[in-house]
Amino acid sequence: MTPPAVLVKHLQVSYGRQPVLRDLSIEVPEGAFFIIIGPNSSGKTTLLRAIAGAVKPQQGQVEIWGALVSHFSKKALARIVAVVPQRVATDIPFTVREVVLMGRSPHVGWMGLEQPRDLELAEEAMTFTNVAHLAQRPLPELSGGELQRVIIARAICQQPRLLLLDEPTAALDPAHQINLMDLMAQLQQERGLTVVMVSHDLNLAAMYGEQLLLLKEGKTVQSGRPADVLTYELLEQAYGCPVLLDTNPLGQVPRITLVPKRFLGPPFLIHEARRK
Amino acid sequence: MSWSSLSLGRRWLWVILVGGLLLTLSLALGMCLGSTPAGWRRNLAALLGRSEPRDILTTIIWRIRWPRALMAGLVGATLSLGGLVFQALLRNPLADPYILGVSGGSAVGAILGLLAGLAPFPGVALLAFLGSMGTLLLVLVITTGEPGGRKGSLLLSGVMVNAFCSAVIIFLVSITQDVRLHNMLYWLMGDLSMSSPDHVTLLIYLLAPCFLVILCLARPLNLLLMGEETALYLGLNVAVTSRVLLIVTSLMVSLAVGQSGLVGFVGLVVPHLFRLLLGPDHRLLIPACLLGGGSYLILCDLVSRVLSSQGEMPVGVITAMVGAPLFVLLLMRSR
Amino acid sequence: MRLCKELGKVMLVAGLGLLAGFSPWHAMAAVQVDQLGRQVNVPAAPQRLVTMAASLTEIVFALGLGSRVVGVEQFSDYPPAARALPKVGSYKLPDVERIVALQPGLCLAIKDGNPPHVLERLRGLGIAVYVVDPRNLPGVIATVEEIGNLLGADDQARELAAALNRRYQRVKDLAGQVAHHPRVFFQIGISPIVSAGSHTFLDELITTAGGLNLAAGNVPYPRFSQEQILALQPEVIIITSMDRGGAFEQVKAGWERWETMPAARNHRIFLVDSDLVDRPAPRLLDGLEMLFRLIHPELAGELP
Repeated sequence: MTPPAVLVKHLQVSYGRQPVLRDLSIEVPEGAFFIIIGPNSSGKTTLLRAIAGAVKPQQGQVEIWGALVSHFSKKALARIVAVVPQRVATDIPFTVREVVLMGRSPHVGWMGLEQPRDLELAEEAMTFTNVAHLAQRPLPELSGGELQRVIIARAICQQPRLLLLDEPTAALDPAHQINLMDLMAQLQQERGLTVVMVSHDLNLAAMYGEQLLLLKEGKTVQSGRPADVLTYELLEQAYGCPVLLDTNPLGQVPRITLVPKRFLGPPFLIHEARRK
Repeated sequence: MSWSSLSLGRRWLWVILVGGLLLTLSLALGMCLGSTPAGWRRNLAALLGRSEPRDILTTIIWRIRWPRALMAGLVGATLSLGGLVFQALLRNPLADPYILGVSGGSAVGAILGLLAGLAPFPGVALLAFLGSMGTLLLVLVITTGEPGGRKGSLLLSGVMVNAFCSAVIIFLVSITQDVRLHNMLYWLMGDLSMSSPDHVTLLIYLLAPCFLVILCLARPLNLLLMGEETALYLGLNVAVTSRVLLIVTSLMVSLAVGQSGLVGFVGLVVPHLFRLLLGPDHRLLIPACLLGGGSYLILCDLVSRVLSSQGEMPVGVITAMVGAPLFVLLLMRSR
Repeated sequence: MRLCKELGKVMLVAGLGLLAGFSPWHAMAAVQVDQLGRQVNVPAAPQRLVTMAASLTEIVFALGLGSRVVGVEQFSDYPPAARALPKVGSYKLPDVERIVALQPGLCLAIKDGNPPHVLERLRGLGIAVYVVDPRNLPGVIATVEEIGNLLGADDQARELAAALNRRYQRVKDLAGQVAHHPRVFFQIGISPIVSAGSHTFLDELITTAGGLNLAAGNVPYPRFSQEQILALQPEVIIITSMDRGGAFEQVKAGWERWETMPAARNHRIFLVDSDLVDRPAPRLLDGLEMLFRLIHPELAGELP
């Protein structure tokens, strides 16, 4: 029985005196597509950073495949865990290929000389994410979607077992959003990657996530399968706004609709729907 | 066959080749031109060791100009590399090698040494070095235990320390009435005539390991440019690497400043120039700054020695007059 | 590789050449001791002199040996003949390259001004450097004689020294006869106002000329505010400044506003040529006589 990809035990993280995560315990099975949702400042990004070893918890611990994150050297950790952050600096005119090759950093020697194998892997990753035709393009000239795919290519180059993404679809148009989620699914299924993603898009989370975690104010509200987490009571409790739930016509997953003010109150059907 | 289609290895070779050529040429010019010009035939003969046995030009070239040119090359390389590293470390294009308090501390030390009437070497140079190490320590202590925003507080502490030292310097200068004032002003402008060319070998031994360390950290510098968090996620121990870079760079800049005073605009302009030509990859920029920066200062020093019939002026004047317009030009080009 | 070997050979030959090369030119070098106590290998009648201070240029020319000088310090403007000679940088920043290129037989240097490390470099390159350090007027006259003897011009040295001494004595005697020593303020520079304290040439000149130096004290170049000067009630104000021209008239007008000050009331505010009182050279005696005339105008006629 393999240990879970990520095991978080009683994690407490504070920035100064302000606690952000309180006594959080979660488990991410190997090979899962795990999506974290929740309102702003619920600690989603902080949780991701704690898993990536970028933040030191006041209490509790994080284990990756049974080993404590704090025991890893930065380089060793980077060989297992790859992170796609929310925002990336785009003012440095590195070319796409140069950026993707940076993903090989945890694997190259200390002199930083790249071997042919590294160049091959970079090519592969760029082809996989469909940015190979942009290899010589400098970063500042890329669109949002292209940039996102380049960073994912870089993450793939790290040859990780665990991929962490922080709201990757936030700045993308619909085509690119679906594109990206499909890419994640492909990585998960074809290469056995464990994907942990923070998302603000509840419907995408519903459609793609195998396991969901709903956070509010640094504490777990609910975790489990989408159907168990995405109920209107839990969502309204977490987000503090009314939502309408039904089943997505594409499959057995919940569909969340946000409710404008004008639909609230009698004589509208909304109350009847909610009574279901 | 365009530049971008070449592999990194090829590009590196080109940089070394062109840079090396530039450096050699600059050294040769630096040795052949001076306040006592001679025809190119005599110069060539002296360079190749074929001149008349008693030709005084040989002495001038090899015992006066050669050590001076070498010194200029070393200081130029150090300052350029220092500016490059600090610009990456602080992610700030306006960073120069003096920004973290090195200029303030070394100036205070040097001025105290000049006031006490010490010789430029080892007295003044040593005090300058100790002064800058003192301010470095101060800045490090002030910024210990700052998890986020480390860069911001480093920069701020450095600026504050420099400002305080400036006040001290102005005070010391104002109470000096005599000949030492002249020395102080020249030191503050950056002046290679007070360097001790006889000790250039010692400087080489001290600077070479610093250059080597930074060369090895070329890739981490690339990662740091992308942001500290990104660098962390890509496996870099940001805290340790940053400290090492900070200390090694401050060390080597302090060593150089002890010899030449505060030569400005080299550490600021040269990295930008090469970034415009070669791109942001530090594996190319580091050798370029070493070779190119060295050549730059050798040529500026040459100009400072031959420009005025009234005698040489501080090389800092030339680097400022050339560097400032060059910087503006680069800024406009990079838009 | 080849270059390095050639370089090594050249350095060896050049080094030996420099050492040996001096002998055929100058016979019978002798070891002299300069005013800093250093031993210097000086040729018997040194030719090809380089003077590293304007005062030293003046001394050599005054001894009638100007023809032997091949290089002078940048600001050597007296006598006019010196202006045409090649310059070797300023006394604070000598041009080592130019000096070496002139292949001097002897370099004359002065302790107060020439940087020691440059003199060391010259010595390291095989050049004889003789350093003088005149501290007062008698010291200057002695230095003149010493340099004359060094250069093998014993007769000229003796004559010149005797003449200078006569003039010195004359002023001393005349000043000794006067009971009243006028209060003199000597202003160097316009802003800030700096004067000369004890143990400076200026102080000595003023005192010898029968004046009372108001700035006497331990600080060699003390600063004064206008108030302090007014409080001292100087009877004579002498201004010496590098900035000639209109600036002096302004300064003089500035002082003359204060009618309570004796110097202003009696219109005894003068501008003098700083070269006559600054440089430790024979013209210092001209400066002395000039000061005497300004401080004791009633006795001015007694001087030749």
